[in-house]
Amino acid sequence: MLNKKYAYRLEIMMAAATVIIFILIGRMAYLQLYKGTYYESRAEGNRTRYTRIIAPRGIIYDCNGEVLVDNKPGFMVSLARSGEGFKPEIIARLSTIINMPQDKIKKMIEENSGSAEPIRLIRNASPEIVTKVEENIRFLPGVLLEVQPVRTYLNKSLAVHTLGYVGEISEYEIEQGVYKELKAGDIVGKFGLENYYDKYLRGTDGSYREEVDVNGRVVQIMDKVNPIPGQSLVLTIDAKLQRIAEQAVDRQLHAIGARACAVIVMDPHSGEVKALASRPDFDPNWFVNGISEKNWNRINTDGFHPMTDKVIAGEYPPGSTFKIVTGSAALQEKKVTPNEMIFDSGRHPLVDMRNAGGEALGWINFKTALSASDNVYFYEMGYRLGIDAIDKYAADFGLGKKTGIDLEGEANGLIASPAYKKKVFEEDWFLGDTFNASIGQGFTLATPIQIAQMLSAVALDGKRYKPHLVKRILNDDGSLSKTFKPEAVGNIPVSETNLKLIQEALKAVTKEGGTAASLNSLPVSVAGKTGTAENPHGRDHGWFIAYAPADDPQLVVVCLVEQGSYGAVSAAPIVKSVLEYAFGTGK
Amino acid sequence: MNNRRITNNLDYVLIGSVMLLVLIGITLIASATHANVPSPTRFRFVFRQSVFVIINLMLGFFLLRFDYRMLKSLAKPLYIINIIMLLGVMLFGRTALGAQRWLQIGPISIQPSEFAKAIMIVALASFVDKKLPTLDNFRSWLPIFGFVLVPFLFVVKQPDLGTSLVFMAILLGTMIVCGFKKKYFLALGGISLASAPLMWMVLHEYQRNRIRVFLDPGLEPYGSGYHVIQSMIAIGSGLFFGKGLFSGTQSQLNFLPENHTDFIFAVAGEEFGFVGVTIILLLYLVVIYRGIYIAMHATDNFGTLLAVGIVSMFTFHVLVNVGMTSGIMPVTGVPLPFMSYGVSSLTTNMLLVTLLLNIDLHPQRLRFD
Repeated sequence: MLNKKYAYRLEIMMAAATVIIFILIGRMAYLQLYKGTYYESRAEGNRTRYTRIIAPRGIIYDCNGEVLVDNKPGFMVSLARSGEGFKPEIIARLSTIINMPQDKIKKMIEENSGSAEPIRLIRNASPEIVTKVEENIRFLPGVLLEVQPVRTYLNKSLAVHTLGYVGEISEYEIEQGVYKELKAGDIVGKFGLENYYDKYLRGTDGSYREEVDVNGRVVQIMDKVNPIPGQSLVLTIDAKLQRIAEQAVDRQLHAIGARACAVIVMDPHSGEVKALASRPDFDPNWFVNGISEKNWNRINTDGFHPMTDKVIAGEYPPGSTFKIVTGSAALQEKKVTPNEMIFDSGRHPLVDMRNAGGEALGWINFKTALSASDNVYFYEMGYRLGIDAIDKYAADFGLGKKTGIDLEGEANGLIASPAYKKKVFEEDWFLGDTFNASIGQGFTLATPIQIAQMLSAVALDGKRYKPHLVKRILNDDGSLSKTFKPEAVGNIPVSETNLKLIQEALKAVTKEGGTAASLNSLPVSVAGKTGTAENPHGRDHGWFIAYAPADDPQLVVVCLVEQGSYGAVSAAPIVKSVLEYAFGTGK
Repeated sequence: MNNRRITNNLDYVLIGSVMLLVLIGITLIASATHANVPSPTRFRFVFRQSVFVIINLMLGFFLLRFDYRMLKSLAKPLYIINIIMLLGVMLFGRTALGAQRWLQIGPISIQPSEFAKAIMIVALASFVDKKLPTLDNFRSWLPIFGFVLVPFLFVVKQPDLGTSLVFMAILLGTMIVCGFKKKYFLALGGISLASAPLMWMVLHEYQRNRIRVFLDPGLEPYGSGYHVIQSMIAIGSGLFFGKGLFSGTQSQLNFLPENHTDFIFAVAGEEFGFVGVTIILLLYLVVIYRGIYIAMHATDNFGTLLAVGIVSMFTFHVLVNVGMTSGIMPVTGVPLPFMSYGVSSLTTNMLLVTLLLNIDLHPQRLRFD
């Protein structure tokens, strides 16, 4: 034995060991009993992941069931949060793999710090990035590749101004509380029908809770709520007609060296829009993943504003198409009879204002005046009516007011009036102003869709319908949710007899000797009107508006070519192509 | 000594406690290595550990025939072999986790530092045994310090902070029982404290980091602090009764790193709860008690010194390992005796228990059979 003097030291060792073991037991009690529930929730947070399943947006069909807008599966690269935060080395690794600066990833993490969901770094990753992430996924714990529906516009730019596009909800939209239940990064309709019918198209997101391991691999799904896909839209648009119209537009613009144009084809009996095109255009698919700088510049620096739907938001002087309004007013107010002959000497006797081409038609009646688009005759009508009467009828035909089509951003147009001139220019109204107003020049402005509505009313003997783009809304299972019936918006206060006379005059426009005789070759008889709107900024805008068949109107077509000069030359060929297709010879 | 005499005189409380710990260990290794999930390698770790348990049992039983005093004559060669072995690790060692600790011999990679601990115990006991009569003032202790210092420096150089501290623990135990004076302890304690900044400079950067992180695990939640945080979550979430074998989410989903080796105790905490870890810790206490009892009743100084060295080492291992998994000790890579997976550590510890039993079995040198 060792020195007996130190035997007690073995007992001290025993006591020390006892103390050590009981300190450790105490530590266990602290962790497992006192702080147990805290660590339990930490363990739970480690292993469970909550993920939203994004509901696919509704599909958009044309009137014949052709799919125009659909969803395709896309891969989303996101970063799942774990209890501890994000490992810097994972962020560094991911940054090189997905080509995203670390700072940007960190910023996105910061911006989403309030949410328990994975942070979506790339919404629709390119196949190269998906492959790279997949190959390295085991070195990227917490990085997820989720399949999610991505909006796809099957015909690229076709009908882009009608269909619109989707994009991430903006901070501004969140602040404004437009979308209460949504948060940053969610996809919403930004433009066109995608925007107008967003709440129908969007659907309700689902979710699931998963058990994951340390590398973020899913071990099991704990519970799942399926998403409810958005409702689908059946449009009034006929994709085939739309294509024909757009092709005709592009052909014509190329031929005459113009860039901007608006075309609308409408069924006057219902207000159903069968085709709607605006130029210049863009591809809505550019916006789906966040638009590139190159494409954005392309859109933004274009002086002809590709993002403006010129059919509903382009305001142009209606030019001679307005003579329909002046003429209807004069007949209805009995300021002229159909047979009264008025002498056109080439200029009006009161104010020296002339015909556009300097011609003088001599003695002419109403029908000739309208079909030949005589200015002097309509100056005289303006003189007899006075500006207030003209304005009243203009309003009755729906000008100066939104038509109420189911798109955002429609313009009001403008009905010229002494009050307006006073207010804006602080000048008095002169007779010359009335003359200008009576032939659709000067202050008056109209959108192509307003002109289409006006012409529809003439074609239908005075009945007006609200233009619309959506026929039906369908549920996810294909069942009908809602039907949009034609919505009458009242009759214009012009007698049928007077409108018949207008119709006769419009029919003569496309006949031999009319201003748009080129449409004479169509198998159906067409009623039309040319127009040329003076443009202080460049070449005149050309209008051509028509409906056909003239005796049983099925379609109204309105076309405006910006800076296209004479409507008969610039716009009429486009309308002709549309009617050719619609009524048989174009096929 | 014949088999019957051996079996009649064995300390079955000690054997029972150790075997319980070994079996609990194998069970937890099974859980930590997902032996419940079908895969070709699912039983690899359990199998290896079990095989070595059996080998060590047989080896131990065989070694009980010999008197532990034979080790006295082996002490010097063992001490030299030890140094050569540690040198070998330095030159040919395989690097793992930032430190050279492994030596590949055929299919088995061994950790010489584990055996080095056992050799240190034997060599030191023998060396001190000879010096005992002359031990008195501080000066007389200097050869002993030097004796430990040489292998200590090799281990520090590896670098293996854990093993080097085990050497210190063994030395400390020896100093306590050999009457190292209280005033010297106080003086040494003071010097250690004063030289702490110097030590800090000698440490490797990763070791410094571990100490920094130990003081504040949140400092590096994904670096070295990660292990400790995940381990504490595992233990804490076990609550009173645990989540059940194979049911610990932290261990099964691999949030807990190194869970079959150094962090096996966290698996115990998670799956067996407070009840389970308390039983395990009490089993260790029993082993320590029996070791000290054997030290007290050894009939020669060599036996006492050996037993004290063994007990010091076990106690230190349990304290540091359990302390590390529960966040009150820095991470130093010290396995939990009998439970952590690892052939070298298991073999060393089982042979040391055999040595305790041997001391217990051979009370007198001269005894007529």
